[in-house]
Amino acid sequence: MDRRIGRLLHIAGLVVVVVVTLFPFYWMVSSSFKAQTDLLANPPQWLFAPTLANYQAVYADGVLLGAVANSLIVAVFATILSVAFGAPAAYALARYSFRGKSDLWFWFISNRMITPVALALPIYIISRSVGLLDTYQVLVLVYITFNLPIVVWICTDQFKGIPHELEQAARLDGASQWTIFRRIYLPLGMPGVAVSAIFSFIFSWNELLYALVLINKTERKTAAVVATNYMSGYELPWGKIMATGTIIVLPVIVFSLIVSRHMVRGLTMGATK
Amino acid sequence: MAFLVLRDVVKTFGAQAAVRGVSFEAEVGEFIVFVGPSGCGKSTLLRIIAGLEELSDGSVFIDGQDVTNIAPAERRVSMVFQSYALYPHMSVFQNMAFGLEMVRMPRVEIDRKVRETAQILQIESLLDRKPKQLSGGQRQRVAIGRAIVRSPKLFLFDEPLSNLDAELRTQMRVEIAKLHRSLGVTMVYVTHDQVEAMTLADRIVVLRDGLVEQVGSPSDLYDSPANTFVAGFIGSPKMNFFAGRVASVDGEGIALASSSLVDGKGRIAVRDASDLKPGDPVTFGIRPASFEIDDRKPLVEITADVMENLGGETQIYGKNTAGDQVVWLAQGRPNIEVGGKLRLGASNVYLFDSSGRSL
Repeated sequence: MDRRIGRLLHIAGLVVVVVVTLFPFYWMVSSSFKAQTDLLANPPQWLFAPTLANYQAVYADGVLLGAVANSLIVAVFATILSVAFGAPAAYALARYSFRGKSDLWFWFISNRMITPVALALPIYIISRSVGLLDTYQVLVLVYITFNLPIVVWICTDQFKGIPHELEQAARLDGASQWTIFRRIYLPLGMPGVAVSAIFSFIFSWNELLYALVLINKTERKTAAVVATNYMSGYELPWGKIMATGTIIVLPVIVFSLIVSRHMVRGLTMGATK
Repeated sequence: MAFLVLRDVVKTFGAQAAVRGVSFEAEVGEFIVFVGPSGCGKSTLLRIIAGLEELSDGSVFIDGQDVTNIAPAERRVSMVFQSYALYPHMSVFQNMAFGLEMVRMPRVEIDRKVRETAQILQIESLLDRKPKQLSGGQRQRVAIGRAIVRSPKLFLFDEPLSNLDAELRTQMRVEIAKLHRSLGVTMVYVTHDQVEAMTLADRIVVLRDGLVEQVGSPSDLYDSPANTFVAGFIGSPKMNFFAGRVASVDGEGIALASSSLVDGKGRIAVRDASDLKPGDPVTFGIRPASFEIDDRKPLVEITADVMENLGGETQIYGKNTAGDQVVWLAQGRPNIEVGGKLRLGASNVYLFDSSGRSL
């Protein structure tokens, strides 16, 4: 009896969490398919005639798709490079002892402690003087500096959990340092690499401040910046805002779903004992 | 020069010395067992031979080559880890093929070698499985397979059987012995289990606190232990030790005075009693299996305490008059009751000086 009540409470709790997290999302997506009258109806309209008018309006503006493409380019490169630099660094931090290791580790993490806005002006000035304003490169570089701490932090922890003996066995088998990293640590640390890749991608995709400051050309603006365009002016076109939001969120969801396939537990089972 | 040579090997971790100057040689095809209590440095020594641990001092030679500063892979040694250390994301085949891929062996040949090895170890049917789908014994076989498929010059085993249950351990022990015979390769095997050491080794190296206590064949160590440590470590159950003094010395042996002995005295034969003089403190040891009921010339008298029936043998625990715990391993099931007094003679008595050195 007690166990059944416990189970029921468990399920009820889960339902609450799921509703709280998913409802805003549902509201955004459903609103994007509503006509303006349905949108503003009070009480809210749960059943309505769906329309694609908002999406057509967004498409007609002609800015968003280009902005999504810009975001994709920036986010994908920033993510790939963050993981490409961060994972080997994490491997070294997890497995080697060298002078200044803990300082290096703290330096990586402390990069994340800086309030982004404090660096916005210096970075703007530097970018201007080296001619990087209005380029993808400048955003990719900035995002890498913000992503690296996360990647290094998560991956170091993940790599530390891989039994030492596997590395030693591979060394005896004649594997080079790089082979050990690529063929043993990377596949076994994939859950951590995947999580850090998702975090990197989400951060790079959603970042607003630097994208706003460093990019002025309309055709180079990222989706997050374009989404804020609606906030100016005298009207609030809710339907278009929701449609834009839905379009912007979609790539993140697709990316996360693809990558989360690698977030499996128990990869190292059977290695030892 | 011998096939494997360790010369004054020292390994320190910070202020702690794990190995404190070990020198040792092994010939081609020998089965060497490092044995000792935990923390004696035996695993460290093995890892030094493998190249996984850097030396603090001394040198290591394999097959005439100084490998002290040579990478593990170039030493052509294979190691079976206590935890097996199988690559969990690879199939059994891939686990075994990994080392061969590293030396860029052609695919066809890798395939042939892996299958050949799998056949020897009877794991052909497991080649497509992942380590987590295997039982402990099967993992052990794969770990051994991964070691032999590379045809190394030298095999290293780090307590390979300690994770297996008793029956499997016996079975694998026999298989390792067979494997050694059929491959004829030099093997170095680390264990804390003196039964494994006795049954497998051509020669045993007994280690304590990072130093070699004695090197010899299993029978050597059993019959003529160099000191009380080796005498106590080799042989199961452990040798019984008693304290005493030399009462008198003559040509055939010595007379002992000890409160542990019946009537406080007894005579034992000694090979060389020239260093002894009356009054010297000594330790004498008797193996549990060398006791026998002897009412005529008893050495010790015990009061039986606990009896363990092992089937073919009976292990009898008792206390003598001096309060020493005494173990007797008797053949069959002697008719003894708890609390009964037993007068025991011994076919063989070991004598050690006050520092524990064998006399």
